[in-house]
Amino acid sequence: MKITKVNKTFGNHQVLKNISLDFPAGKTTVLVGPSGSGKSTILRSLDLLERPESGNFDLDELHIDFSQKIKDADILTVRKKTGMVFQSYNLFPHFTVLQNVTEGPVQVLGKKKADAEAEAKQLLAKVGLADKADFYPETLSGGQAQRVAIARSLAMHPEYILLDEPTSALDPELEMEVLKVLLELAKEKQSLVIVTHNLAFARRVADKIVFVENGEILYDGDAGKFFAQDNDNQRIQDFLNSMSLASLD
Amino acid sequence: MSCFARKELSKILHSIFTDYLPQIFAAGFKYTITLAIISFILGLIIALVTALVRISDKGGGFLIIKAIFRFYVWLFRSTPLLVQLFIVYFGLPYLKIPGLLPNGIKLAPFTAGIITFSLNTGAYASETIRAAIQSVPREQWEAAASIGMNRGKTLRRIILPQALKVSIPPLSNSFIGLVKDTSLAASITIVEMFEVSQQIAAENYQPLIMYSLVALVYALFCSVLSWLQGWLEKASSRHSKESEAEA
Ligand SMILES: Nc1ncnc2c1ncn2[C@@H]1O[C@H](COP(=O)(O)OP(=O)(O)O)[C@@H](O)[C@H]1O
Repeated sequence: MKITKVNKTFGNHQVLKNISLDFPAGKTTVLVGPSGSGKSTILRSLDLLERPESGNFDLDELHIDFSQKIKDADILTVRKKTGMVFQSYNLFPHFTVLQNVTEGPVQVLGKKKADAEAEAKQLLAKVGLADKADFYPETLSGGQAQRVAIARSLAMHPEYILLDEPTSALDPELEMEVLKVLLELAKEKQSLVIVTHNLAFARRVADKIVFVENGEILYDGDAGKFFAQDNDNQRIQDFLNSMSLASLD
Repeated sequence: MSCFARKELSKILHSIFTDYLPQIFAAGFKYTITLAIISFILGLIIALVTALVRISDKGGGFLIIKAIFRFYVWLFRSTPLLVQLFIVYFGLPYLKIPGLLPNGIKLAPFTAGIITFSLNTGAYASETIRAAIQSVPREQWEAAASIGMNRGKTLRRIILPQALKVSIPPLSNSFIGLVKDTSLAASITIVEMFEVSQQIAAENYQPLIMYSLVALVYALFCSVLSWLQGWLEKASSRHSKESEAEA
């Protein structure tokens, strides 16, 4: 999956400035950078929740030109191949946990209900919530809700899972249970794109780091090099120094 | 109390229970309740269609349809229901268009009542439903979109169930209001229960008793509806309580 020369403005504020990025399959790409730099906007563009004014999007053989009207069929293809996990979970409150996970497979992929439920139960077990299948979202903790959201996304078998600050709303203990699930997914070579402020987690999970500032890419490459102390970009050094690396060590 | 007065009182009481109330209830079930229920169901359908048209983001020729629905809601919300009834029942027969409608539109009283009450309810309820749909967080649309659901399916499966739950209290109020408003149907010759009480009062010269009786029956109907509303609200939020009990 890649984007090329993407531009996005909100009003007269240019949020993405001619950005090009690729997201290698089977790898974890982590977007970091100061708040308001455009990370979420990049991520949401990958799921077509934001529509940039110009630029291209490529996923397998699908090609989208953002300056043209996007066909409904192409939107559906992208939405099937990418899954979004939101900072605020956004579970469906009127469905049980199980129904949240089966909704996509049954309604969009046309799976049989029994098959979808069997798989949903496996996925819930995988994220450690087998016993919560019949609960309603409002009875869950934030960490549990976010793991259900991850299971809901996994149920669609997306090529890429996009995670928009998935743990920013969580207390540290709850954050850990979500991060563990993500580390597990990364180990299984599930392609991930993660926006996070947790640099310790980023260092541990990322194959590739993208550093975004003010709508531009200041670093795009190997995660190890990014965190190496001899990084010669002063902006990145300042950013790393300003953030705590302690929370996962 | 004199013997005469006591006799008079027991005669009235006897008439109330064997004559007046049975007549009022009969008219209540035949017209008041049927008018209210049919109009409310039709009104809800109109309201849902109107709300969906008005929140649609389609452009082009659809903007004209949106304008028509907006005009409809404005018209029915800014004119009195009694005047609307008069226009539909007494006015439309004079809507004569040579060639197309040479004789105007003559409606039976009950039909005119149903049409007017439905359109009136539809206009108000459409605003309730529209507000309820818009009260569902934008993120719910996004979550549904991200698992590949299209707009129609998202509306049907994700947004409307949440919106309708929010709408239950205001829509119940509309229904209770409608039951009371059907008394206006008396003015277009529908013999609903208020009309019946008027007719009896004209015969027995007991307006205080007759209008109090009919008021009581309205109150009874509306109390039953309030109770139903409470039950519906509980049923629609049942899930949270059940799973708390499990936890
Ligand atoms: N829907 C929107 N309308 C207007 N401005 C927006 C909208 N979404 C984001 N922005 C602006 O775009 C900029 C980038 O936002 P975002 O991509 O969320 O940054 P980040 O994820 O790096 O914090 C911010 O200045 C933000 O205020």
